[in-house]
Amino acid sequence: MRANYVVLLAVAAWCFLAGAVYIVWSLLDVGTVEWAGTTALLLTGVLAVFVAFFLWRSHRAQGGELPEDRLDANIDDGDPELGFFSPWSWWPIGLAASAALVFLGLAAGYWIAFVGVALFLVMIVGWVYEYYRGYFAR
Amino acid sequence: MGLVSSASVLQTTSAPVVNRANPIAVGTIVWLGSEVMFFAGLFAIYFTLRGVAPELWEQETAILDVPYSLVNTIILVSSSFTCQFGVFAAERLQARATSWKPWNWGMVEWFYLTYALGAIFVAGQVLEYANLVSEGVTLSSNSYGSIFYMTTGFHGLHVTGGLIAFLLVIGRAYAVKNFGHREATSAIVVSYYWHFVDVVWIGLFAVIYLLK
Repeated sequence: MRANYVVLLAVAAWCFLAGAVYIVWSLLDVGTVEWAGTTALLLTGVLAVFVAFFLWRSHRAQGGELPEDRLDANIDDGDPELGFFSPWSWWPIGLAASAALVFLGLAAGYWIAFVGVALFLVMIVGWVYEYYRGYFAR
Repeated sequence: MGLVSSASVLQTTSAPVVNRANPIAVGTIVWLGSEVMFFAGLFAIYFTLRGVAPELWEQETAILDVPYSLVNTIILVSSSFTCQFGVFAAERLQARATSWKPWNWGMVEWFYLTYALGAIFVAGQVLEYANLVSEGVTLSSNSYGSIFYMTTGFHGLHVTGGLIAFLLVIGRAYAVKNFGHREATSAIVVSYYWHFVDVVWIGLFAVIYLLK
């Protein structure tokens, strides 16, 4: 994890340096600051700092090194509780169909959009509560 | 075989418990990053059109009812606070109120209040649209009308989507016997979205109503 944020900080430092050189160079060459490139370079540096800061905070909060950062770790040490992932589900297909009907309705005739909204209500409830009912109720 | 199993036992006893960042929270934040870019595009359209037709802006922004919109803004901003109190309740895994006093409220009560405030905001927007249309500002009247309804309208759709999300999260709290970390996580990520939509509105309000 330390290597991750050090790399990103190096990227940020390079972008800030390149941005400064870019400003000075364009001032010497044409006498004005070229805003598009200057903004892009400096904001790229800011974005790299964003991700580096997030990884640095995550690293401090996780209370130890990740298995993938340890030379003595096994593959299965990296199988902690990563979260719940649905193995498969039909609901997103119906949900996508309802959204498609709404947009078709906006383009072709409003009455189709009403059918789409009705279908959306069924599908979103079905999807959100898929693991809250039947065998999965808890 | 004995060697293999003892090696993995040693690993589990020596490796410390690692707290990874919640992937649902991280995924939501990344998605909100793309939403920022969507609204950034709308702001760019607004500023470009305004730069091209300053006299149109002078004439059309005089119609806006700023005090009315300020009240609506305050309602939306206060809903972010009630939403956050709901998150605090969800984080202590308290779904329902233990008494009528607000400091004993659970997530469900705070989110109902947030829903009501958000619904008042959307209803206020609809009323404002009706007034503006009667004044002749419509989606197709001119470039000011187009971008006014595009920016505030897309924001209003986001608020409406957030309202639906609040109902679904409230429903999850009722659906489970024991309110746990999974339910709390959905409450927390919906609050991220709600705060984002709120901040976008503060930007829109400042640009459309204050920078007349």
